[in-house]
Amino acid sequence: MNNPTRKVVVAGVMGAISVFLGASHWGFVPWLAGAALTIMHVPVIIGAILEGPWVGVAIGAIFGAFSLLQGAIAPTGPADVWFTNPLVSILPRLLIGPIAWLAYRALRQISEVAALAISGVAGSLTNTVLVLGALGLLRFLPWGVIGTIAVTNGLPEAVLAAVLTVAVVAAWKRIAIGQKGSTV
Amino acid sequence: MNRPSRPSEFELVGRVTIGQYLPTNSQVHQLDPRAKLLMVLLLAIGVVASDSLLGLAILLGGVALCLVSARIPLGYTLDGLRPALPFLLLLALLQILVIPARGPCLRTVWEWAFFSVTDRSLLAGAVLALRFVVMALGISLVSFSTSTTELTHGIEHLLRPMQTFGLPAHEAALVVNITIRFLPILAAEAERLLKAQASRGADFGPGRFGLLTRARKLLPLLVPLFLISLRRADQLVEAMEARCYLGGKGRTNLIQLRAHPRDHLAVLATSMVVALVVYLGSIDVEGLILSSILPCPT
Amino acid sequence: MSQPDTLISVQDLAHTYLRGTPFEVPSLRGVSLTVAAGRTVGLVGPTGSGKSTLLQHLNGLLRPQEGTVHVLGDSLTDPSINIRDIRQRVGLVFQNPEDQLFEPYAGDDVAFGPRALGLERDQVRERVRQAMEAVGLSFDLKDRLTSQLSQGERRRLALAGVLALEPQILVLDEPTAGLDPLGRRSLLDFLSSWASDAKRAIVLATHNMEDIALLSDDVYVLVAGKIVLSGPARTVLQNADVLLQSSLSLPVSVELSRQLRRRGLPVSTDSLTMDEATRQIEVLLRGDS
Repeated sequence: MNNPTRKVVVAGVMGAISVFLGASHWGFVPWLAGAALTIMHVPVIIGAILEGPWVGVAIGAIFGAFSLLQGAIAPTGPADVWFTNPLVSILPRLLIGPIAWLAYRALRQISEVAALAISGVAGSLTNTVLVLGALGLLRFLPWGVIGTIAVTNGLPEAVLAAVLTVAVVAAWKRIAIGQKGSTV
Repeated sequence: MNRPSRPSEFELVGRVTIGQYLPTNSQVHQLDPRAKLLMVLLLAIGVVASDSLLGLAILLGGVALCLVSARIPLGYTLDGLRPALPFLLLLALLQILVIPARGPCLRTVWEWAFFSVTDRSLLAGAVLALRFVVMALGISLVSFSTSTTELTHGIEHLLRPMQTFGLPAHEAALVVNITIRFLPILAAEAERLLKAQASRGADFGPGRFGLLTRARKLLPLLVPLFLISLRRADQLVEAMEARCYLGGKGRTNLIQLRAHPRDHLAVLATSMVVALVVYLGSIDVEGLILSSILPCPT
Repeated sequence: MSQPDTLISVQDLAHTYLRGTPFEVPSLRGVSLTVAAGRTVGLVGPTGSGKSTLLQHLNGLLRPQEGTVHVLGDSLTDPSINIRDIRQRVGLVFQNPEDQLFEPYAGDDVAFGPRALGLERDQVRERVRQAMEAVGLSFDLKDRLTSQLSQGERRRLALAGVLALEPQILVLDEPTAGLDPLGRRSLLDFLSSWASDAKRAIVLATHNMEDIALLSDDVYVLVAGKIVLSGPARTVLQNADVLLQSSLSLPVSVELSRQLRRRGLPVSTDSLTMDEATRQIEVLLRGDS
């Protein structure tokens, strides 16, 4: 169903979810020693899977713009200050949607659920790699530190994204996941 | 008897604020939103492209001038910066002490163990801090002086030239509009969900859990949030189509934006200042000033 | 017969939403309410009157800012009480509870509560079975995808999720909102039979006067955060002046009786339900005194 109005609305709604997750503490899952895992990029992935790569770009832009604004106006941590640079906050986020969408399209013939999970991982890793990459190229952080963050934060974030993507899209599209019934 | 006030852990709606609009009806408020957006864009370019402390100080002066002319209370603006200060200081310190500076003439100011502070690294630290402050104030200025309706129209108009590259300006502005208007609804739904799941015995408290357990604890909140939102999206689409919404082609507006000479002037003045600032950065004006006062170590 | 136990006692409860911020709004101003065992308490009021805020105090989601709330012997102003215990014994069902379903399979969603209580596997299974059957859902539906059930089934599933906690008191916010007449009827029948146990109680908040008329023993009328009228259902629901002034409607049967009386017909206005009103009119039509 290729409804252009629907694309606009879903982009707006998913964008709002991303902003909401960032503005409230819902978007941050506490992890090792203070640094939190983020799920703000998950609406980008879900929006791209449901409505296409361009919607993904739009939601990514909103996510990026918000993280820039948050860094400028109400930072919650030292890292937020780096996000006032659009090369760190906006540019990388534009690609999350299209890459997630590509992964989904490529794999959905094989297994819908696997495609959703891998798509979640791909989208999340795009966010991790491109943002950290920008921080490294702009010399905000040494590459050694970046590598550590990529592993300790990036990998768990990818798992979270996969779990959430599968749960939401499977429920929305009424797809069965794995087991054939409840565990009761 | 009054008990000490502690906001309920469930009250989310009041916490989501995106930057206030203060209608003081000043000259700045009356500027066309497109002009203001262009000015902040130019400001961003200046901040990113220039390494010059002097240049950034000039930009800071400019923004401060605009804030004063917009009749924004100074205390209010600075209050907004307060939460950022500790982190800013930390990063500036990091820049000064740890990150090695580059340049033709490095004069060491202070040395201890493996820490070495040079004149350049001090400049770099100050530049970092100033970059942030200028950007933060600039964005706050736009937010204080422009309503969301004006902003959305401004964004749409500015994006129109991009239509030749395939970017649908009207749709893009509409997406931003929907995002902004949906936020309070989302906060209310989120609050409701939090309360409903807590009432069923869900435990969202802190604790030492593995990754997958944490992921599972999120599901009762996040999955319904997404599903409710997608359902509302469907309803909105139906409502828009029922009102014959057919997309942006040929669509007219009730609010017309008209540019006045003062808008052109404002943008022109800003471009010239930014050009100067970038130039100062490119010629390393600080290096020149320092070299004229102090000798260069061999 | 002994005096029924007071299960919930609310005294001079006051609450301000977003207190301490520039957006603060008083939602409850000195509300007092009692819920006795074996009774169904109806709470009526126009939208924004504070009904939901009041309900959320009953299971400890909100703690009293001023005043006291005693639930099943515990005082909610005491920070050391076991709040999860309260939330099991007082089951709060929000409006449109089907929105909170999140598990892929129906049975798992109902099992969420019992599992959170830490029950054993077979206990959980038994609770789920009983809860589902109580709301009229076949236990076989447990293996169905939640998203594939109809809206009525989903609402019943959500209710089963709360019942599976085996609460002593059920608190419901607009339970029949959005249901078709059949669904509404079946839900009301269920609530009526659930409440017949003398140790249980129900608190029902709604602006649907018919629901109130059918189920309530006692009624409280809440307007702008204050109780303007309270008492036995029969008395309160016939107080047309107060109800109409509070932007509430009257139960249809009461309205009908009023109109007939206005036209000089000797109908008593104390019929609350359609059945009672019908009988009154039958008597009238037959010409008996």
